[in-house]
Amino acid sequence: MSWWNGLSLRSKVFLAFSGLILAVLLATLGFTQLVVGRDARQTLSRDLRTTGQVFATLMQERATRLQTNASLLASDFALKRLFATHFDPASYDAETLVSAGLSYRQRSGVQLVWMMDETGKLLAASPASDRLGKSLSDWLPLRQAMENEAPATGVVELDGELFQMVAVPVLGPDVIGYLVLGQVIDDRVAARLRDDTRSEVTFLTASRVFATSWPASRRAGLPSPTTYLATVLKSGAPNDPDLLNIGGERFLTLAVPIAAQLSEPLYALIQGSFDAALTPLRSLQTRIAFIGAAALAGALAAGVILAGGITGPVRTLVGAMREVLQGNLRHRARVDRSDELGFLARSFNEMVAGLQDREQIKDTFGRFVSRDVAAAVLGGHVPLDGERREVTILFQDIRGFTGLAEKLDPVALLRVLNRFFTEVVAAVEAEGGVVKQFTGDGVMALFGVPQIRSDHTERGVRAALGIVERLASLNKALQNDAVPSLQIGIGIHVGEVVAGLIGPDSRVEYGVVGEPVNLAARIEGLTKDLTAIILVSRSIAARLGPEFVLGRTALLPVKGKSQPVEVVEVLARTPVHTAA
Amino acid sequence: MYRYKIIGVALFLCSTGLCAGAPSVSGTVTGADGRAIADAVVFVQGPPEDADRPRRPQMVDQVDKTFVPGLLPIVVGTSVRFPNHDQIHHHVYSFSPAKTFELPLYKGEEAPAVLFDKVGVVKIGCNIHDWMSGIILVLPTPHFAVTDGQGHFVLEDLPAGTYSLAAWHSLSKVKPEDTVQSVAVGAEAARVSFRLPLSVARTRPGVHGARAQP
Repeated sequence: MSWWNGLSLRSKVFLAFSGLILAVLLATLGFTQLVVGRDARQTLSRDLRTTGQVFATLMQERATRLQTNASLLASDFALKRLFATHFDPASYDAETLVSAGLSYRQRSGVQLVWMMDETGKLLAASPASDRLGKSLSDWLPLRQAMENEAPATGVVELDGELFQMVAVPVLGPDVIGYLVLGQVIDDRVAARLRDDTRSEVTFLTASRVFATSWPASRRAGLPSPTTYLATVLKSGAPNDPDLLNIGGERFLTLAVPIAAQLSEPLYALIQGSFDAALTPLRSLQTRIAFIGAAALAGALAAGVILAGGITGPVRTLVGAMREVLQGNLRHRARVDRSDELGFLARSFNEMVAGLQDREQIKDTFGRFVSRDVAAAVLGGHVPLDGERREVTILFQDIRGFTGLAEKLDPVALLRVLNRFFTEVVAAVEAEGGVVKQFTGDGVMALFGVPQIRSDHTERGVRAALGIVERLASLNKALQNDAVPSLQIGIGIHVGEVVAGLIGPDSRVEYGVVGEPVNLAARIEGLTKDLTAIILVSRSIAARLGPEFVLGRTALLPVKGKSQPVEVVEVLARTPVHTAA
Repeated sequence: MYRYKIIGVALFLCSTGLCAGAPSVSGTVTGADGRAIADAVVFVQGPPEDADRPRRPQMVDQVDKTFVPGLLPIVVGTSVRFPNHDQIHHHVYSFSPAKTFELPLYKGEEAPAVLFDKVGVVKIGCNIHDWMSGIILVLPTPHFAVTDGQGHFVLEDLPAGTYSLAAWHSLSKVKPEDTVQSVAVGAEAARVSFRLPLSVARTRPGVHGARAQP
């Protein structure tokens, strides 16, 4: 998912939104395809089953019509009289009987007329048959008609053709003979049935096709009867039409068993084109796909707009944050909305405004107090009622300042002082110290307040050495400006003081109060007496590491102190050489 | 029905010893299963009598589109009239070899009598009404009787002698000549029993009348 994390919010929203729409669309299309396709097949199958029933009814009606025709013909009194002539060989008129058969064939529109005597012997046939004079009493459906002395129908194969036959008794008033009518089931019959049922109709057994409605041009593409039947019947569900591919077109195929007196079962295959039936569905699918594509395009456009709508303000906010990160607190996020993003932008702007105010206060404050003090006060790290803290106090003073003041005009003097104090402040702050106050030509600096630093003593001494070092550089510059060199003295002491905000409510300042402050000032005063630059108290010297080069030591009386104070001169600081 | 009454009375008189006629032959006709057969005809076989000898005419009526009686045994040479007492036309015919005739559409008493001059079974029908069917059994001698509901028959007024008796029924599987029994008729009444295997009666759709009630 690293690629996803690497995408912009706009791309993510767009991709998520579009993906969701696409998924819903595809699911809808797929579902529609599935359901409609299944429904279409079910509907077609049901229609085909109905067609199968209609077909069976049509076949039954054909048989009934044939039987009715035969019964009516058999009731003809002239026919009865003709039939009865066979009882008397003297009056038997075979030729008239044959011609009557031809006449009845034409009258009833059948293809075969047989006349039998009451024992089943063929008396006359139209068209002519070599069975004449033979007994057909074992031949169905005649046998059935003779057994019941009632009409019987059946489908039989006769000289290679399929016939729907009916045998009816001729009553005079008892049975005096049988009339058999036959209607051939050929391609024309299948074609008529196709016109009636709107389905292709094929009469076949496993070994041959007797009749089919398929046009001659498509018969070559039909499977063999054996394959045909095996495919249709293998499903084992006769009422569930199978899908057969015929010449690249799919046909739902239903096998309707036909009662027939053949050596193998006869079926009528009812076939409806599945593909043709699906044509309206395809059109529907095309329309759905078109609507889907349009919806997708709309969804993508909506995705772009929506993604822009959501991420635009976010990007504005991100830009504003970058500006603020780079220190531009004047920058504001321009998001004109009333929703959560608008609220976020307004909150951000208020937050940046607050930061700007705070920074402004800090800047202003920092110019009058040390930056560390200002930060401590603004950060609320300074207790209002003061605290006892151990601090290192550094006092510095310019020697011979009075003489210098006389040599320089006030403006130049102030400029020199400011250049000097700039160096002093830099040296003090470089060691984390705080310049507490400027005393005309001197500076008081504190180490260990307000920020607690455990090595504040060494920091103080390093700051003193730093001041001396920076002063050397400054003096060179001053010499170039024809200004006399500055000479300074620095006194440093460490001790516990009270630190906090000092002064009335209307004018407080951060400061320290305690004896060590005075002693530090006194030690600074001693530098003039010893002509030393840096003097520290013994308590300072005791804490210094070996890298500090100490000079002379003196026990000097100090004003306000009953005991002399031991001071140590600090000369320099050398890089620490760790033992090899 | 009228005839059955006469037979019934005759049987009654004979059983009480009051029978005043000549010696006769009585008996039963049963089926293969032993059940009594009604409407079987038992008759004396012999050379046909002279067909020209005058006989009392008989009649087959047509009532309610039915031949009445459905079975009429007659001796050869008998004329039969076919009056039509329906209000519609009938067209009586027969294709039977024993007598082929046709009485085209008629009503009432219009139709001429038909002379049955040949021994045999004559099946009659109506060309208009397929279900109308009847049988005229033309017998060689005037000695015949029809069995009643219990299969009983009585042949009266037979002179003493030896006779060949045969039985016929419309559903019989055997020909009458194959049923012949010889019986001696003397002072005492003789008894003869016939056993006729019958085929199953068929009822054809649309066919009514005597054919449906053998």
